[in-house]
Parts: sequence; structure tokens; C-alpha cells
Amino acid sequence: MEKMEKNNQLNTKENMMQLVFFASALVSVLAVIAICLFLLMRGIPAISEIGLKNFLFNQKWAPTNTPPTFGILSMIVGSLYVTAGAIIIGVPIGIMCAIFLAEFCPISIYKIVKPSVNLLAGIPSIIYGFFGMEIVVPYVREMIGGNGYSILSASIILGIMILPTIITISESSIRAVPKSYMEASLGIGATREESIFKVVVPAAKSGILTSIILGIGRAVGETMAVVMVAGGAVMPLEKIALLKPIRTLTANIVTEMSYASGLHTESLIATGVVLFVFIIILNTALSLIKTKTKN
Amino acid sequence: MYNTKGDNEHMKARKKIILIAMSLMLILSAVGCSNKQTTEFNADKEITVIARDAASGTRGAFHELMKIKVKEKETETDNLAVGALEFDGTDKVITAVEKDKYAVGYISIGSLSDRVKPASINGFFPTEENVKNGDYVVSRPYLLLTNGIENDLVKDFLSFTESVQGQEIVRKMHYIGAVESPKLYEASNISGTIKVAGSTSVAPLMEKIQEAYKDLNPNVTFEMQANGSSQGIKAAIEGTYDIGMSSRNLKDDEKSQLNEHTLAIDGIAVIINKINPKTDLSSENITKIYTGEITKWSEVK
Repeated sequence: MEKMEKNNQLNTKENMMQLVFFASALVSVLAVIAICLFLLMRGIPAISEIGLKNFLFNQKWAPTNTPPTFGILSMIVGSLYVTAGAIIIGVPIGIMCAIFLAEFCPISIYKIVKPSVNLLAGIPSIIYGFFGMEIVVPYVREMIGGNGYSILSASIILGIMILPTIITISESSIRAVPKSYMEASLGIGATREESIFKVVVPAAKSGILTSIILGIGRAVGETMAVVMVAGGAVMPLEKIALLKPIRTLTANIVTEMSYASGLHTESLIATGVVLFVFIIILNTALSLIKTKTKN
Repeated sequence: MYNTKGDNEHMKARKKIILIAMSLMLILSAVGCSNKQTTEFNADKEITVIARDAASGTRGAFHELMKIKVKEKETETDNLAVGALEFDGTDKVITAVEKDKYAVGYISIGSLSDRVKPASINGFFPTEENVKNGDYVVSRPYLLLTNGIENDLVKDFLSFTESVQGQEIVRKMHYIGAVESPKLYEASNISGTIKVAGSTSVAPLMEKIQEAYKDLNPNVTFEMQANGSSQGIKAAIEGTYDIGMSSRNLKDDEKSQLNEHTLAIDGIAVIINKINPKTDLSSENITKIYTGEITKWSEVK
């Protein structure tokens, strides 16, 4: 009898805890659903009022004109350019650093580089922004040209910001390649370098790709730092250039949200919808890579 | 004792970290030094035009006063130069102008800092005196309007806006006070509702003043609608609202129907880098710079 009671107690306890864990799991799902609903409910009416084609494919953004125009093509292109720039700068450095850390690095240097990479990940983006505004922008202005607020400056800052993501994930995926691969390659007479670059790194391909996609995600979504170094000008497509200022989707939302009203506010939320679609596409790509490697 | 080796390694690693941190700092400061602006000013370089974001009230006022924004019958077009930088805060505009020899920007006069220098416009510097007597052109009044029928509550509120306490809020919000010698306001336990409508630019200041007024008169409530100066003037004339707010001067036919109370003056300073040899800009040149008609400092005559 007593044992039954104890069992019952245990069961209720277990059930309750299960509920707690389930609720915790639910929180993130609910958050995603809530954000989705908010974006769609506020953004879709604005998009239909402006017209989808007019919103996505018009490059003129003039919310305070009468009549106003709300075209975000220039910012979509801006986000793409800045992200591409970040990839060009960040990916080679990141992957080479990861290979160095995983394969060549003496332990004494590893003890310095690894914490530095981790620290880089923890620096708030506003600090990157300050660094960009005070150091990178004047440097680009003096040494390369233009007024410094440019796609190039934004790409440099974002390239640095995505380094920790790329390094950490690439390094662990290179380390996860079974030792036997390396041994086999060495065994058939390949040098250590050949084995690393032709056997180990290709074997870690999916992890490295994952790191790049997560890096892209970070670059697309980054806001504060970009606002401070990209200049925020809405450029007509034909005038977009490496040394000219640019406005990204995130920058558009954050610069104008504070004082906007009416359809202007709604159009900024609609900008968020477009950004959200970008992120969904990236995540889909990520899960495709994962299923592909599993197969 | 078996720990000694580990400790030693730790010490070594720590020393190395310190060494690397120090050399990093050295490199950074070297970069910083090489970035120091040279005092040489090349007037053939392009002007870095800096504006505020589209939703900013300062931008609205500046672009309208400087005719960057052009109004025709039904349309209003902002002709800001292509490639002009847009920042979402006064501090960013100041930093950008401070760091760039060839930059020009605009900020509220109350936010002026000695990191940059204000240009005089048509020969007048943006001082409080020049703004008040109208010599400095980039300014506009914030008016509170009634159609002459003012009940005790409205009178009491208007006297608060012109009091020491009211004008202190005006200064805190970086506007120029418009009252010569404000008196101290004393609350008189009054109650009721005041309906206010009009300028979206005046509304944020008005809100702050209403809050302070409500602290002293807890039984008073406000209804406020920010729908533009013209609507505010119309509402005051018709008497549908107790007070109309306007951020532009009244036309003659409006003047005859309304009582004007100047709450504050909003002055905007045009700022340039300290190294820039220019000290004065004409209002035509400012318009040309901001619409992209002039792109180099050498073209500014």
C-alpha cells in the first residue's frame, strides 16, 4: 500500500516536471509564433496598401514626400552587397584561422587565440559600431577614398563580426573528422598539408558551410554597427558603389522607427517582414545542408 | 608539488596574453595617430553632406526652411542630394562632422558642442539674440493659438507655459525660450480638460509641459492630437480645440483671428568641421549643397 502511494507521488512529481520542461520548450515556439503574427498582422496591410511590386521593386524611398513612396529595392540590394562583402572578408580569414587552430596551432598560442575569438563573439555590436566610426571610417577615407561611410567600411566591420561564428563552428567540425582519415591519407604517402587540405577539410565541408550560413545570418541581421558605418543613404541602384554610402534593411528600420507615424511605421514593420523572409530562406538552406549530409 | 608545471605554463600564457594585449594597444594607438586629421584643407574634395533621418523633426524643419523640400499645390518633394548620409541622432551627426574635414551637418541650436563649429548664415551666427530678433533665418516659432475665448483653465495653462517652470522645460528640450522675464507659476487647484491639436513638431515639447503641469494640477486632463500646423490653426479658429499648435508663422488673415503665444523658438545650426576655413554660408548655398547642386567646397562662394 505504502509503496503504491510512494509510486503515485513519484508519478505526479514526474508528470509535473514533465509539464515544466514542456512549458519551457513551448516558450521559444510561442515566441516565434507571436513574432510571426505581429509581423504579418502589421506588415501585410502596409504591403497591400503600398502594393507588393511597388514595395519590393521600387528604389525610391521618400516617406515624407506628398504623396509618399515606400520602395525598399535599394535597401534589399544594400543588404545583399554588405553581406557579400562581409563574406568575402570574413570567410577566408575565418576558415584559415579554424584550420590553423585545429591542425597546426601549438598549445601555447592556442591558449591565446581561442579566448580572443571567444571574446570577439561577446563584444556588443554598438562597440563594433564605435570602433568602425572612429577607426575604420576615417581610415577608409584617408587611405582609400570617398567619405568613409561606405559598403567597404560596413563589410570590414561585419567581416570581423562574423569571424567568431565561422571560426568556432568550422574548428569543431574539422576536429570532428575521424583521425583515421588523416592516418589513411598519411599512410598512402600524402604529406601532412596535403592530407589536411585535400582530405580533412573536404570531410568537414558541411560543418564549414553551416558556419558560413550562420555567419551570413548574423551579417544580414546586424543593425547597430552597420547604421554607424554605412552612412544610411538610400542610393539609386546605378549609383551604388564600394566607396559610397548605403542603407540596409535593418538600418532602415532602426533609423526611422523612433519618430515615424502612420503608414510610415507600418512600412518599416513591412521592411521587417522582408528581413524575416531572408532569415527563413537562410534557415531552410541550413536544414537542407544538414539533411543532405545525413544522407 | 605536482602542480608546478601547470602553474608555470599558466604564468607563461598569462605573460604572453599581457604582451599581446600591449602590442595590440600600441598598434591601435599607432593607427589612431595616423588617423589624426591633417590641418590641410583641400577645397576640391567632395562635400560630405549629412542629414537626419526622414522621420526627424529637425530634418522636417530644416528642409522646409532651406527649401530642400519643395512644396507645390498637392505635392511635397524632398530633394536631398543623392548619397547624402542620414543619421538617426544629433550625437552621430556631431561625431561625423567632427571626424570629417569636408562634412556639413545640421543640429538643433541647443545641442551645439565645441567639437564642431557652427557656420554663420547670411552673416549671422546662431546665437539666441540673432534667433530672437529674426536675423538668423534657420529658425521657426512654436506658437500656441486660441481664438480669444480662453476659459480660466486655458488661461492658467498658458500662464504656466510662459512661467519659469514652463520655460525651463523649453530649455531642457534644447529650444530657445521666447519669454523675456518669466514669472514663477503657482498652482491654484484648478480642474477640467484642455483639448490641444496641431503641429507634430510642437507635440513632443507640449507633452513634456503637460506632464509637468499635471504634476502641479492633478485634476487636469489633456486631449492632444498631433495633426499638423495647418490643422491646429484651423481648429483654434473654429474653436473645436482650446489650443492650436503651430510651428510656422501665421498668415495675415490667420493673425487677425487668433491670439498668439510664442512657446519657444526652434533654431537649427549648420555645423562644419573646425578645420574648414569657411565661416559663413549663404542660405542659397546651403540649399545648393543639400540638393546636390554644389558638391565641392571650392564651389561655395
